[in-house]
Amino acid sequence: MGRRGRIRFATVWLGGCSGCHMSFLDLDERLVELAGLADMVYGPFMDAKEFPRKVDVTLVEGAVTNRANLAMALMLRERSRIVVSLGDCAVTGNVTSLRNQLPVADVLATFLSCGEGSVPAMDYNAVPELLPRALPLHQVIAVDGFLPGCPPDPERIWTAIGCLLRGEPVHLESDMLTFG
Amino acid sequence: MSVVTLTIDGELVSGRRGETLLQVIREHGLALPTLCHLEGLSERGGCRLCIVEVEGSPRPMPACSTAAREGMVVRTATDRLIRYRRMIVELLFAERNHYCAVCVSAGNCELQTVAATLGVDHVRYEYLSPRLTMDLSHERFGIDHNRCILCTRCVRVCDEVEGVHTWDVSCRGVRSRVIADLNHPWGRSETCTSCGKCVQVCPTGALFTKGAAVGEMVKDAGMLTRVIEGRDKKGWQE
Amino acid sequence: MSRTITIDPVTRIEGHATITIRLDDAGSVADARLHVTEFRGFEAFCVGRSIWEMPGITARICGICPISHSIASARAGDAILGVDIPPAAEQLRRIANLASLIQSHALSFFHLCAADLLLGMDHDPSRRSLWGLLESRPDVARRGIRLRQIGQQIVSNLAGERVHPSWAVPGGVREPLDAERRRKVVELLPEGIAIIRSAFELLDEIYGRHGAEVGTYGDFPSLFAGLVGEDGGLEHYDGMLRFTDSSGAVVEEVPPDHYDLAIGERSEPWSYMKFPFYRNHAGRDGGGMFRVGPLARLNLCERAGTPEADRELQTFRQLRGTGGVVTGSFHYHHARLIEILHALERIGELLDDPAILDRHVRSEAGVNRRHGVGFCEAPRGTLFHDYEVDDDGLILRLNLLIATGQNNLAMNRTILEVARSHIKGGKVSEGILNRIEHGIRAYDPCLSCATHVYGRMPFQVLLLAPDGTVVDEIAS
Repeated sequence: MGRRGRIRFATVWLGGCSGCHMSFLDLDERLVELAGLADMVYGPFMDAKEFPRKVDVTLVEGAVTNRANLAMALMLRERSRIVVSLGDCAVTGNVTSLRNQLPVADVLATFLSCGEGSVPAMDYNAVPELLPRALPLHQVIAVDGFLPGCPPDPERIWTAIGCLLRGEPVHLESDMLTFG
Repeated sequence: MSVVTLTIDGELVSGRRGETLLQVIREHGLALPTLCHLEGLSERGGCRLCIVEVEGSPRPMPACSTAAREGMVVRTATDRLIRYRRMIVELLFAERNHYCAVCVSAGNCELQTVAATLGVDHVRYEYLSPRLTMDLSHERFGIDHNRCILCTRCVRVCDEVEGVHTWDVSCRGVRSRVIADLNHPWGRSETCTSCGKCVQVCPTGALFTKGAAVGEMVKDAGMLTRVIEGRDKKGWQE
Repeated sequence: MSRTITIDPVTRIEGHATITIRLDDAGSVADARLHVTEFRGFEAFCVGRSIWEMPGITARICGICPISHSIASARAGDAILGVDIPPAAEQLRRIANLASLIQSHALSFFHLCAADLLLGMDHDPSRRSLWGLLESRPDVARRGIRLRQIGQQIVSNLAGERVHPSWAVPGGVREPLDAERRRKVVELLPEGIAIIRSAFELLDEIYGRHGAEVGTYGDFPSLFAGLVGEDGGLEHYDGMLRFTDSSGAVVEEVPPDHYDLAIGERSEPWSYMKFPFYRNHAGRDGGGMFRVGPLARLNLCERAGTPEADRELQTFRQLRGTGGVVTGSFHYHHARLIEILHALERIGELLDDPAILDRHVRSEAGVNRRHGVGFCEAPRGTLFHDYEVDDDGLILRLNLLIATGQNNLAMNRTILEVARSHIKGGKVSEGILNRIEHGIRAYDPCLSCATHVYGRMPFQVLLLAPDGTVVDEIAS
């Protein structure tokens, strides 16, 4: 727990489009309410460079698609009490995993051979290497809750956050569970 | 008409002889999910979502293709059945490429709805991610094998109602594909009458009207009943 | 001894990147690079999909500007169908695109950058965010949240949903606008304009606080590129693709669907973001660098075309740098505010036309051409979707020229410039690194848009010896 016993809350963005984080921002004025209820300790709208220790709740957007995502997933799992997959890319792989139908070399080839200046290979000291397949988060680490949707609409996110702030597992009725 | 009496989920109910368990169960207002079953077509018993437990049988049985018999004791929603149904839906998602977010049938898909109703919020199996194709060679319709669950409603409606049998299934197991004629592009089929019944009965976005954008393909759920009633009552004769 | 500083990850940007800064033996900055660290491969996996699905699929390139992607994609589809879309559909697309620009610019200014701009580059990093702003400047933070909400509400009134609506389609849009929803949108506009007026009042404070530094945030001559209307006015949907230089002279104008005559692309092994360049200047200093986005659009147009935005544009042009135009990338922030104002005014004008309620919003056709280019101004710059299809409309080849990518050369130049002016004798501090990151934030890069994004590793600034050993480490 954070200051005054408030929940330490983090969001993480792995391989996805940020649409889930946009839907999170679409909580609009409820963001102010959330900031009053939880300590925001990590996320793409903040300057914390290292994923902090002793986080209570972490929402994760995106599939695990490269080595950096993988390292991040392992770290956030180790440092979070509750991990929730936020949106279809984290839950199913979704559009990020459309590339799984092709060998990773074929996917990368469209980039390497672009336009006039092609390069033979990427420098994996400078950028992380793609994994052979983009994976849903729960195939990489244990996940405690699932929030499907592309993106999950703000009502779904708010319902799930309500459960989490009360210390309960994420529970969504079937009308809030659809993929897509 | 002779009547059978049986017990379903602890309630004594009656049905007509010759009815399937699925018919009796639904007549009594109980929900049982199905994907390959469609009123008006022959039963295939393929999707296995409507499995029930029948006392005396160690294996769950598909309600759609099990006859209701006198004295049967049936359970429709035990923990085991619910577990199996979820497993079946998850396996369907894992087998091909069902990206609900960018599907023409998003929001109007039977697979998507069944999954949510069963509480499937993620898939525990590894996705196979097969490389499959879309065929838009037909003038009016398209087929995307990525989204096909091999329910064979299209095959049955084409054969049993339209009487053409353009569609069939080639290969076996995970390599099964719905094919037109002898595996021609749909647009080159010599038998297809372009009636569109297959499109309307398809439970997912596998068959769709050409030009449909994401979420735009809404199937006409009453089409088959209207056609069959019209045929039986000879409603189209002058 | 030379060494390398790594900023990993760059925070408060849309997407994931790292920055490396190489210092020479004397501790001066020798080179700086922006590494975009993720790659998603849309150009590979969209092959085989249909043009009717492409607006939905490519919207998932970016959750921040899905509207712009879906519109550019639908326009590539229009070209392939070979249709003129109904006038109401075109105007509705324009409104949605402008509304998307409002929410995106509001996000950049208030949610991501205001903490730097109003609390200071050296403010406590743990409070240097929207959440910190909510504590110390709640009025500003709340207005920012509301302004973004207004943009999103306009989008959802037209398109049904805020993020990833399936609305723009080849041939037009799926739903006409009705009078009730038009009324709802019209009612949002005055509040939006009031908020943006109050944001202009923050500029004095911002320039006052950062005045000495403004010139170091990427103030250099470069080309600017973007759409311009037939009358030379600010344009976000159609018109010509104009290139101007830093004296304000028009260098070239090409029809946007022939963008590839003017713009080439190349790759580097150290970033997953392509490097587009202006072909005719490829051999010159800067390698064909050009800038796109709000700053470029305001520099290359002759007028905004709406009354209040035109007045603000006059003020903006007083900021002129070395040439005849505003060359400092810091002024992207200012340009964003003017574009929000323009968008709110312009949406009002477009909604005033009774024809906007026309029920005919979609042209039906089959595939009539094998190649189509769609484009529009996304919040961050000109966006191109270039599709080649088979006779059935299945994608054979596609090229996506993403707005943010076009600023790649300029962003690299900017961080080099900021690093050079702040790092002396090998000394760095958290505040200096934040300034370098802000050099990137000014461009509001959308790296998920660049289709190639991210990486989030524990933060370390490592000072490395040439043999790779760590000589010093700074943690946040």
